[in-house]
Amino acid sequence: MITAGIDMGAKYIKVVLLKDGVVQGRAIAATGFEPTASALECFERATKESSVDKSSIVHITSTGAGRKAAPNVDSDITDVSATAKGVVHLMKGVRTVIDVGAEEGRGIKIEADGKVVDFAVNEKCAAGAGAFAEAMSRALEVSIGEFGQLSLKSEKTIPMNAQCAVFAESEVVSLVHAKTPKHDIARSVHDAIASRIVSMVRRVGIEKEVALVGGVSHNPGFEDSLNRGLEMQVIVPEYPEYVGALGAAVVACERAK
Amino acid sequence: MFAKFFDWYENRHDYAREWLAKNDGKVIGCFCSYSPEELIYAAGLLPVRVLGSHEPQDVTEPHIFSMFCPFCRDVLAQGLKGRYDYMKGIMLTQSCLHLRQTFTSWRNHIPADYSFYLYMPNKVQTEHARSYYSGELTKVRMSLEEWTGRTITDKLLQEAAELCNENRRLMREVYDLRKEPDPPLTGLEAMVMVASSFFVDKKDHNAELRRILPELRSRRLDRETGGRLMIVGSENDDTKFVKMVESIGSTVVVDDHCTGSRYFWNLTQFTGDIMQDIADRYIDRPPCPTKDWEERRRFPHILNLAKEFNVAGVILIQQKFCDPHECDMVPLKELLNSNGYPTLFLEFDVTVPAGQLRIRVEAFLEMLGVEELF
Amino acid sequence: MAEYKTEPLKCWQKAKELRLKYYKDYQNARSKGGIRWTGGAWSFDAIPAGLGRDVYNITGEPYAASLAFAKRLSMGCLEAAEAKGWARDLCSYMRNYWGSMYLRKYAFGGEYPDPDFCFQDHICCSHGKWYQHVAEHKKVPYFCIDVSVGPYRDLDENRLMFVVNQMHESVEWLEKTTGRKYQDELLIEAVENEVRSTSVWAEICCLNMAKPAPLDEKSMYSLYVHGTLAKHAKEVADFYEELRDEVKYRVDNHIAAVPGEKCRLMSDTQPPWGFLKIFRYLENFGAISVGSLYTFGLIGVWETKPDGTWGPRTTPMQRGERITSRDQALRILADWNLSKPEWQHFYDPNLKTEMMLQIVKQWRVDGVMLHLNRGCEGLSCGIMENRLGIAKAGVPVMTFEGNMGDEREFDEKRVTARIDSFMETLGVEMTEKTAGTA
Repeated sequence: MITAGIDMGAKYIKVVLLKDGVVQGRAIAATGFEPTASALECFERATKESSVDKSSIVHITSTGAGRKAAPNVDSDITDVSATAKGVVHLMKGVRTVIDVGAEEGRGIKIEADGKVVDFAVNEKCAAGAGAFAEAMSRALEVSIGEFGQLSLKSEKTIPMNAQCAVFAESEVVSLVHAKTPKHDIARSVHDAIASRIVSMVRRVGIEKEVALVGGVSHNPGFEDSLNRGLEMQVIVPEYPEYVGALGAAVVACERAK
Repeated sequence: MFAKFFDWYENRHDYAREWLAKNDGKVIGCFCSYSPEELIYAAGLLPVRVLGSHEPQDVTEPHIFSMFCPFCRDVLAQGLKGRYDYMKGIMLTQSCLHLRQTFTSWRNHIPADYSFYLYMPNKVQTEHARSYYSGELTKVRMSLEEWTGRTITDKLLQEAAELCNENRRLMREVYDLRKEPDPPLTGLEAMVMVASSFFVDKKDHNAELRRILPELRSRRLDRETGGRLMIVGSENDDTKFVKMVESIGSTVVVDDHCTGSRYFWNLTQFTGDIMQDIADRYIDRPPCPTKDWEERRRFPHILNLAKEFNVAGVILIQQKFCDPHECDMVPLKELLNSNGYPTLFLEFDVTVPAGQLRIRVEAFLEMLGVEELF
Repeated sequence: MAEYKTEPLKCWQKAKELRLKYYKDYQNARSKGGIRWTGGAWSFDAIPAGLGRDVYNITGEPYAASLAFAKRLSMGCLEAAEAKGWARDLCSYMRNYWGSMYLRKYAFGGEYPDPDFCFQDHICCSHGKWYQHVAEHKKVPYFCIDVSVGPYRDLDENRLMFVVNQMHESVEWLEKTTGRKYQDELLIEAVENEVRSTSVWAEICCLNMAKPAPLDEKSMYSLYVHGTLAKHAKEVADFYEELRDEVKYRVDNHIAAVPGEKCRLMSDTQPPWGFLKIFRYLENFGAISVGSLYTFGLIGVWETKPDGTWGPRTTPMQRGERITSRDQALRILADWNLSKPEWQHFYDPNLKTEMMLQIVKQWRVDGVMLHLNRGCEGLSCGIMENRLGIAKAGVPVMTFEGNMGDEREFDEKRVTARIDSFMETLGVEMTEKTAGTA
């Protein structure tokens, strides 16, 4: 059986094609101002590059913030559930999922089969999002990719206010003016973001195994900070940003039966 | 000269553990400057006020909604992180809602043999508060007797009240020296002196105060006094900030905040009814904003301090989300400004962006300097 | 899925008229030589009632909620408060109210009508300070009664007398301030009306245990409000009896608030007044909020019955007691109010968790939605411990951040996404067609 999942994220659209539980193809596109058109284009690319015949797809499920705008879908599911399903498909034994994207960070408590038991989302007073990391990397004049690597070079933590992004930004500016080495600032920023995420995830309770997904999981500096904050190692699946779309494809399969 | 106070302040847990090893008593954690320490001393216990550690933390979010002040969450974090594992009892003296949650979450999740919520009145301005409060304090007395197995006699209470009074008197004496044109101590030293008094046996604190006072009177600091500042707020021992302020041409000469003068300003007056006397002392002390209505009694007190200590400017330190102090801030600012005291308003968290605040304080000091020219 | 029958509430129009009359009476009080006072919804309004039958008040919280509902006016009020320098995280009711005062605008048309005095009670940190500022701004006298004497289950004579003594003091103060002679018979009448209105409101809430629920919480907001305006007034007590009879009729005839009811929820704290449409959004899932500790216990007064269930508190009159003196009236008034459910969590969140779980059980609730209300530190006090307690008891619970009176702090998209996820965890899908009560 071939199914598809479309994750209509705020910034990026991801498509995953699944055949009998194995991923056949993936594609990603910027959401832009025309999400429906972007989704169509992304879907087209995914099918072409994987040589999957569109007509053989029995069920398409959408997820993500813009899931209602997805074209030609048979059903939809929220991204919390989709992420949970996707994680469980990739890794056994996960009970806590940490999903950190550009704007939101989430903590999801799941059962063995991916059923969501509880979830928390970072709220107003949180510097816990990828957008903040990007802004800070710009302030330090490095790319976001370098920013993560830079942070790994540091060996000390300068405590930063992790409550409010505005305060945190002020502190970074202060550190720059005090001629603090860039790698130490980078680590402080990542630690601050991780601290906010850990704080939020504690609301659902942290139970092993812990998986990290979402766009920010590509950032090794953040992963390191998170591990230290949790005092345990998180597992990052391959293609973490596609987990939502994968989960939607899994759900599509369940619903097609 | 203040090295001992700094040591107590920085190593508060070591002190408490040593005290426990040397004394046949227990440590009770208190959460507010209104705590009736007299009763605790009379019970043979050590009252220790729990303050935060000024570090970001990630453990309180499941317990206290993040819109409540960072201080109350910082305090709870200390407990959740096990830093007070030697502390067997906790007591809350009712004041603000924020700290109340620290106490109730602590009670829910951190093991303690003893906990007591003391319903101190908020309307201290009614005469009825007096008998009500001595009634409530009697419950504390009985409860502590039950926990310790020790009878708290009036005599013990009297002695404890005198011990606390002595501490207050001595700290007032130190504060009086700050009225001088060139105070012999910095605001930082004063802050640490007061904050350390929350953590240690008043016997020890008094002894150290008595030891330094003679020398202190003739001490000359090798620094410019600069702008004479007052800090007002719910400020909770932000030593980094005070250090920074005093390094750029100013001296903090007096304060009104809850880890400062409010704590020790007035003495217990003895009229023969010790429980009522102790109750009255807390009813009559400089109030926290939660207890300052219908009239504003806090404001004349602050103005008086500004006058007596010849203050040039006031830094209003607003702990983020602290509603009680926010409720006073606008009229307080207006009052100070209209009485010739320029004010600088700063919002605080448990950590502060030193660089940004420094710029503002520097500008403020410049402004004060310019005004002196004319 | 079978649909239940539904029909609008017959009392609805009367509810609206009663509320509007209250605000107009306050506005026009002086033209008839009457007295105007302002204070909180929890003020002991029965006490100034002893000054005469021409005493009118506005209570700050419902007034501010009315402001919050009128988004443009509310924004103006909030900005006026901020322009003065007040912090944005202060009680959003208080900021709306102060803004209305600064702008001299009345939410019900015309100028903000100045009070003759302020009369308040203090339980949360803002209460006493709110009217301190109103009084100093309007230059009127101010009296506030401290009620923070601990939970009802621990009430003793010392604590009760602290409140009662202040009440006696307030009567003398009222006489001095207004120059009027106090009439104890009017106080007694007001106290009798108050215990009646607040216990009957609890009766009405109990009727919502029925399946299908005859009332949805959104509608209940427009009905409990009268108790927050003038719980001591005969019209309010009479209206609640009328409403109770109608709701009983609905229960007996299986008339639903939400005809597609298939999931019963409970909320907590004040709702985001500018976004009550989230209740309509819930109806897309056949989900109905049957109430909350807030709706039930803000003005409703309850007790635990001998069989362990929660029900309306027995009034002194139902026990055969007659009120014959001022002191007796004040004691009853104090004791009655100190037992209010929404006053208990100020001292221990566990007390509130217990009550919430009782509601879940008796009202057959499937899930709980907690509004982490940034606009009210009083009702949000301890709410995270409530969440833990409810989750520990195995009841599905979700949270969403918002603000009852400041729409800038409510993210509709985020909240509806949350609700979608929560409904999924409850296994409730969106239905194609829904219809609600008017």
